Amino acid sequence: MTERWFPDEMPMPAANAETVGWWEAAAGHRLVVQRCTACGTTRHPPGPVCPRCRSTASEWFELAGTGTVFTFTVVRQAFVASLADKLPYVVIVVELDGSQGARIVSNLVEVEPEEVTVGMAVEVAWEDMGPELAVPRFRPAVHRGERP
Amino acid sequence: MTAVGRAACVVGVGETRYAKWGGITDASEYRLAVEAVLAAIADAGMSPDDVDGLASFAEDRNEATFMAADLGLPELRYASLSWLPGGGGACAAVANAAMAVETGAAEAVVVYRSLCQGQFRRFGQGPGNMPARVGPPRLPHLRRATSLLEAHVAFTMPFGMFSPPIAYAMVLQRHMHRFGTTAEQMGHVAVTTRAHAARNPRAVMGDRPMTMDDYLASRLVSEPFRLFDCCLENDGACAVLVTTAERAADSAKRPVSVLGAAQGAPAGFGYGQYANVGMPDDDYTSTGARGVATRMWARAGVGPADIDVAQIYDHFTGLVLLSLEDFGFCGQGEGGPFAASGALAWPDGALPTNTHGGSLSEAYIHGLNHVVEGVRQLRGESTCQVDGAETCLVTSAAGVPSSALVLGRR
Repeated sequence: MTERWFPDEMPMPAANAETVGWWEAAAGHRLVVQRCTACGTTRHPPGPVCPRCRSTASEWFELAGTGTVFTFTVVRQAFVASLADKLPYVVIVVELDGSQGARIVSNLVEVEPEEVTVGMAVEVAWEDMGPELAVPRFRPAVHRGERP
Repeated sequence: MTAVGRAACVVGVGETRYAKWGGITDASEYRLAVEAVLAAIADAGMSPDDVDGLASFAEDRNEATFMAADLGLPELRYASLSWLPGGGGACAAVANAAMAVETGAAEAVVVYRSLCQGQFRRFGQGPGNMPARVGPPRLPHLRRATSLLEAHVAFTMPFGMFSPPIAYAMVLQRHMHRFGTTAEQMGHVAVTTRAHAARNPRAVMGDRPMTMDDYLASRLVSEPFRLFDCCLENDGACAVLVTTAERAADSAKRPVSVLGAAQGAPAGFGYGQYANVGMPDDDYTSTGARGVATRMWARAGVGPADIDVAQIYDHFTGLVLLSLEDFGFCGQGEGGPFAASGALAWPDGALPTNTHGGSLSEAYIHGLNHVVEGVRQLRGESTCQVDGAETCLVTSAAGVPSSALVLGRR
């Protein structure tokens, strides 16, 4: 078990039939994106049908776990009381490499808030929340460098 | 084509007192809704016996079915709730009411919104999945989602993206990155709106003047948003009554026409940036309402240059800038300089905006109070009256599937 980054009172994720596969992959530290088996288009969050070709056939496509900060915010108010000790924390939208531009919301950890920039290269840092639950947070990529 | 006599008009507006969050404890949220509906009916010089429709928007706890019975409506012939989330549906609810009367489905429809969040849970805090842990500690586990929204926000909440300011701060951060938008430009929205509220006795912040220095000194909530970039949270209710031009001819106050309205969202916009972040960059860095604007202007037969006064949904200052862009008052990325030019200020700006004080300074009633203020402007009753105003743009929430309308003087 890795150290928990947010306190235990944080809400636990909930899944439905379409999204549970993403969370199962995450539990095994595999960052995936849903991909249409018929036309190859990716989509996130996962859904029952391809918005492009309307096929209901899909698969989980594993990504390298690297990406680029598309945008971010430094949160300085505790919207949940138990987060007061965690302030400030950084929420990012990360564009995932090799995903056809899919983006997810996450946190940037192991960074000073004032160092965060749009375009920053990041890599996944898995956090185990329980034996069968993990969430992908991100940290600055080891080989740092700005991307376009 | 709508028969001439059935063209939709707003003939009544009603409001309760507005108070700070949790400030109303002697009346339920539902009772405030009823009071606002009755006030709108009385303002029109009509009776509940004349009303046969009720309309509202997303997540309204105050169900029209119960209200119809409690108000003693002779017969409920129309009841609708817009799917547009949060404050996105205020103008859509009015438009739905207008469609109902124009098609003959109903004769008089009241649109209402009541908020007493202190009596319930805070709005925009997700689908109620944040109870303090009770009982013995247990290992975190994946839960079964009870709604589509809950499954979607599972991709945001575990990362501390709990609240609209966090989601929309990231939109403005991207806008700043792309277009150079600044804090001071957002501050112009906050300061101008507060000045308008100072003239409005209903405004919750009417006695709290704000300078640009005050704005810049306010604490950071979620960068780049400061406290004064974020709207109020309030208790209160308001309502508007929509009926046909034929019936409006007998109304107590000057009727106001609904010249055109539209609603919706672009492809892939989902719930908006609150729960979806994968849309094209130009849509992510927008209100999502460009299509709404295009269709609304076409139906109304007017354009941005024809608008005398605007009430633009202002849950966050920065999204007012994006609305100015998306509704065509300036180009993409030019909302900041447009606001900083003084354009939004009453009485001399090119586009006096949020003349009641908006959600930033009058009250946060999910923007239905923006419709109320639009009606006041065209009646000549605003506390920041634009001389001879004949057209008013009203928009609903930015960053979710939304709606907008143009009101016109009859």
